Amino acid sequence: MESESVIEIRNLTKIYRDFWGRKKVRALNQLTLDVKKGEVFGLLGPNGSGKTTTLKLLLGLLFPTEGEVKILGEPATNVSKNERIGYLPEETYLYRFLNAEETLDFYGRLFNIPAQVRKDRAKELIEMVGLKHARRRQLREYSKGMTRRIGLAQALINDPDLILLDEPTSGLDPLGSRDMKDLIDKLKEKGKTVVMCSHLLADVQDVCDRIAILFEGDLKVLDRVDKLLVDEGVTQLKTSQLPENVIREVEEVLKRHGASLMNVDHPTSNLEDLFIKTVRESKERPGQRHVADGKPTAAS
Amino acid sequence: MGSEFDFSGALITYISVIGSLLFAIITVSVAGSFVVGGKTGPLAVLSILRLAVEDWLSTSPRRIWAITKLTILEAIRRKALLVGVVFAVLFLFAGWFLAQPASDPEQQVKVYVAFVMRTIAFLIIPMVLLLSCWGIPEDIRVRSIHTVVTKPCRRQEIVIGRVLGFTAIGGLLLAIMGVVGYVWILRQLDAKGRERLVARVPVYGKIAFKDREGVDQKQGINTGDEWMFRSFIEGGTKSRMIWNFEGLDAFNLETADHLPMEAGFQVFRSYKGNMDRGITCQILVVNPDTEKRAVAPLVTSRDQAGKIEQTDNAFEVKEFRENLLQLARRVVDDEGNELDLFKDFVSKGRLRVEVLCLPTQQYIGAAGPDLFVRLPDKPFVVSYAKGLLGIGLLTLMIVVIGVCASTFVKGPVATMTTFFIVLVGATGRAFLDTIVDAKWVGGGAFESIYRIFAHLNPQTELPSTLPFKVMQLVDGAGVGFLRSVRYLFPDFKFFDLTPYVAYGFDVPWTNPVPPNSGALLPSLIITAGYLLPWIVLGYFSLRLRELEAK
Amino acid sequence: MSKLTGLQRKLVYLVGILVLFIPIIVLGRPDEGRTATGGDQGGTLARMRREYDLKESSLGKVDPASASMNLVLLGMRGIAANILWQQAIDLQKTKNWAELRAVTESITQLQPHFLKVWDMQAWNLAYNVSAEWDLVRDRYFWVKEGLKFYQQGVLQNQKYGEMQWRTGNTYSQKIGRADEWKQFRQYFVKDPNTEAFPSGLDPEINPEGKDNYQVAEKWFRDANRTIDDTGIEQHVMGRPLFRSYPVRAMIEFAQAKQREGVFGDITKQAWETAAIEWSQKYGKEEFDSPGGMVHLEVTEKDAKEMQDRGEDDKLNWVYRYQDMCNYRYWRLRCFVEREQNTVDARRDLYNGEVAAAKGDFVEARKLLESGMEKYDTMIRKYPELLEQMETVEDAMVAMIAWRSVLQIESAPVPDDYPLKSVWEQNAGSVGVFNTEYIRRKGLYNK
Repeated sequence: MESESVIEIRNLTKIYRDFWGRKKVRALNQLTLDVKKGEVFGLLGPNGSGKTTTLKLLLGLLFPTEGEVKILGEPATNVSKNERIGYLPEETYLYRFLNAEETLDFYGRLFNIPAQVRKDRAKELIEMVGLKHARRRQLREYSKGMTRRIGLAQALINDPDLILLDEPTSGLDPLGSRDMKDLIDKLKEKGKTVVMCSHLLADVQDVCDRIAILFEGDLKVLDRVDKLLVDEGVTQLKTSQLPENVIREVEEVLKRHGASLMNVDHPTSNLEDLFIKTVRESKERPGQRHVADGKPTAAS
Repeated sequence: MGSEFDFSGALITYISVIGSLLFAIITVSVAGSFVVGGKTGPLAVLSILRLAVEDWLSTSPRRIWAITKLTILEAIRRKALLVGVVFAVLFLFAGWFLAQPASDPEQQVKVYVAFVMRTIAFLIIPMVLLLSCWGIPEDIRVRSIHTVVTKPCRRQEIVIGRVLGFTAIGGLLLAIMGVVGYVWILRQLDAKGRERLVARVPVYGKIAFKDREGVDQKQGINTGDEWMFRSFIEGGTKSRMIWNFEGLDAFNLETADHLPMEAGFQVFRSYKGNMDRGITCQILVVNPDTEKRAVAPLVTSRDQAGKIEQTDNAFEVKEFRENLLQLARRVVDDEGNELDLFKDFVSKGRLRVEVLCLPTQQYIGAAGPDLFVRLPDKPFVVSYAKGLLGIGLLTLMIVVIGVCASTFVKGPVATMTTFFIVLVGATGRAFLDTIVDAKWVGGGAFESIYRIFAHLNPQTELPSTLPFKVMQLVDGAGVGFLRSVRYLFPDFKFFDLTPYVAYGFDVPWTNPVPPNSGALLPSLIITAGYLLPWIVLGYFSLRLRELEAK
Repeated sequence: MSKLTGLQRKLVYLVGILVLFIPIIVLGRPDEGRTATGGDQGGTLARMRREYDLKESSLGKVDPASASMNLVLLGMRGIAANILWQQAIDLQKTKNWAELRAVTESITQLQPHFLKVWDMQAWNLAYNVSAEWDLVRDRYFWVKEGLKFYQQGVLQNQKYGEMQWRTGNTYSQKIGRADEWKQFRQYFVKDPNTEAFPSGLDPEINPEGKDNYQVAEKWFRDANRTIDDTGIEQHVMGRPLFRSYPVRAMIEFAQAKQREGVFGDITKQAWETAAIEWSQKYGKEEFDSPGGMVHLEVTEKDAKEMQDRGEDDKLNWVYRYQDMCNYRYWRLRCFVEREQNTVDARRDLYNGEVAAAKGDFVEARKLLESGMEKYDTMIRKYPELLEQMETVEDAMVAMIAWRSVLQIESAPVPDDYPLKSVWEQNAGSVGVFNTEYIRRKGLYNK
């Protein structure tokens, strides 16, 4: 075995029942998949597709109706597996009356980390997620983005081998989202295994090695991202600016070979890229403003 | 004294209850799992038990402390301590309402002390009840608990940490209110009242009676009082109230010139007599081994150096007041021999004291605790602190029950459950025991209803036809149910230590002194006994449920 | 505001709270009508409440324990009062007097406008609890507690003359007529608790050092006045009887003094006043009757005139009302008692009985015979007095004392002696009077 499995899911089924034990929802149906050590794995799917349920089953927060889960070689219900896991819940369910330092100290204690180590690690993580200025404020005063970041910090307090992220970029502005993705890349570099679930394709495509797409509890697709995103039926050409006549020529050449020009236009970066670019530029050159003719001018 | 706390009996009951409970739970779950899951079922049960053992073995004080600290911070930041402000305001104004300037200090002290302790209890108990019942359900509702249980934190650590945290909050408030209350009491009382703030340390004897012919009896005469606590002896007859004291040698009597006692007798006059004078009584001291007896001389005055100047052979009973008696050490018997009370009458620490009423056709009455040897007083603070400890233990019990209940039901239901358990434990235990131990006449619920409508008295035999048998069977099942849940309700009567403090007695460690029913050790033991099972219950409840808000 | 930090803001709040407390304390301080020093008039609100007779709002006068309970119970104070009442019964049963007192207070504070609550609880303290204590001074303490309760009840229910009457009735009956009346009446002017009351007077009970009947008379008068002012009728007894209580208190005052061996101007004056009050004021008061408005003072001449006017029915009602209040007897009694001969007769009989009880038989015989002579004169003058047992009893007891003196001196009972006819008429029930004789003897001997 060249790379060991960090997570093994076998025939996992979860049926939610109501108070009287009647079947209500089949949230997950016969799911089988493995996550290898060191990879970034994405669980994708629209809302209600069973991503979060899978994650909770992995963590032992829910009990499977059928099938079994092994995580880091242990059954999901064993508490001791948690020593090496970091978990960022969908919304950050932290204690809102604690401030950032207290939060990290609290979760540090739960890992039985000695006081000094706890303190150092907390400081490091707070700096890493950029909350140094707000470390003494109670979380109830935090914005959504800040809460997300402190949530991430608490997930990393034990320097986990496996990190489970539930919708890591939800509620973050594009900049925050970018930071999050950079961070995931960093974790991957360190050899950590990351499992994230999201309904935002863009997030996943940037960072994940492999993805699984779930729909209504069924696994629809499971493969490497680079493979998935290549459409073999389409060839894309990228050239420098072409005059109108040259385009017509190219069109004719294509016709001769039995292919058709599907679309000709100027490539644009997607909105996200644009936003990031703009923000980055404005950070570099403060005071610049966008005007009608499209040329940037200096502020008076 | 019927309410003595039977330690060994309690232990046996405890072990048998816990044992049979465990047995029942394991049997039922193994059998149930077999029915549901076939062969793998019992294996699953075993693996749960194995995991439980593992969990308990890896209990970490640091994690418990983390939860405790979290709980405390939560309560403080959520302004639970505001109840302290209510307390402060109450006391700011209480003096306006409780002052009874003309009352004598003895009565005033009782009211003030009882007021302070009751107020403390009434403020703290609902607060910790609500806090403890809402803590975990709220955690589950907002899913904060997901961030905790996905850490290596064991479920029992959550329960213990919560219990400790809420108890700490209660304890903190208790300490603050205790101090404020103490200062308040001192400030309310004048110098004379403050003198009454003591913790008397009594040594009680076992009481017995002799009737008018001098025959031993367990009880004296009932003079028609509805309250059967005290019973009476007739004056001018051979009727006696007898107290057998033990363990007097444990106290240093060598240097004393008297044996200090205190009497609280009641008087019943069959004719008015001289209304300006009390009924006179005499005290006889008897050596329990040699049966040597003599009238005890009571010190009536001392000179300036503190030497005994005068003694009297009788004393007038002041009803409902402390009658302080100093039994002089120098005793003269009938033949005129001079004897020593401690040497000639106290034998191996035992002393018998007989009390007789002098005037004919007048009666004096007493119960066991109405005559006692009064050892040097302890400071009032001691009994006050013990009384507060009683409230603290009660708080702990309520927290444990509340936290445990909140692990399997939501906040409101947990609150109701806990409230109900506390209510039954505080008021209904005696009633429950009567029903369960089948000392109840007239049958169970349905039989009683039938008897009421059929106008049958409890003695009438019911016809032994089928409907009646079914009815009694159903009633029997009801009683069986009550019997099985009886020990769910802690007997809170042992926790009420306020009367001792208010009445100026040291709080007893072991046996309650009637008519009160509290004592420190029983309440400690009850607390300890309930603590672990409830926490284990809470552990399993958190372990075996999906911590998902529904 | 935004410039302040959180801490500063909180400090501002704190100061604000404290500042607001000052007016609360100044305005809201309750009326401490019950202090030994005669005390504090209370805050502005308390004063205004008094002025405008808004005592209902003194629901605020609740002790903190029950106030907090009230708060928690919201509208369920009736239930709370019931629970407390049950508790009070238990406390009484187990003889926890101090707590009983406190719980009773709480009950009345929860239900300050239920007259029955006040009446029942105050009566319980004054009559039942006091009787549980053995020593008379302890008993007296609880009688006073009951009286204080009644007075509190009056303060909370100023529109009801009934409460005032009950207060007065306790002053007159419980202190003046209880078994321990002798001690109680002494304590009333010289409180046994000399530490709390160095002057000997409990300011809440008897600030002016009067006789208990004089205080009772004042309460009865107040009761009548309140009913006149508010028009709220009492439901204790028939109006003609109720209205007679002030004068009756005066009569009882005079009688009590005589019982205690005080004769002369005080009693004579008291009887004199009572006679005038009875016949001129009380007797002239108009009462509603089925026969029309009537008043009780009707002389024979008046009666005749009424008959002439054909007002037989009305006259009938007058007689009925008179019987109800024993009007004619008391009227006569007042007139008789103010005469010097009566005063002398009573003094001689009393002193004679005392002397006999103390063993001074010579003096006793002399005084008793002189007294019997004068008593005989009185009866001859007003034979209708004999219709009342009281008159007969005094005569009989005196003669029993006199006869026992004769017996000790081995002197025969003379063939003729004053009051002989009374003796002969009542010879059958000597036993009854003998009991009374022994009772009095015991009293004189103390």
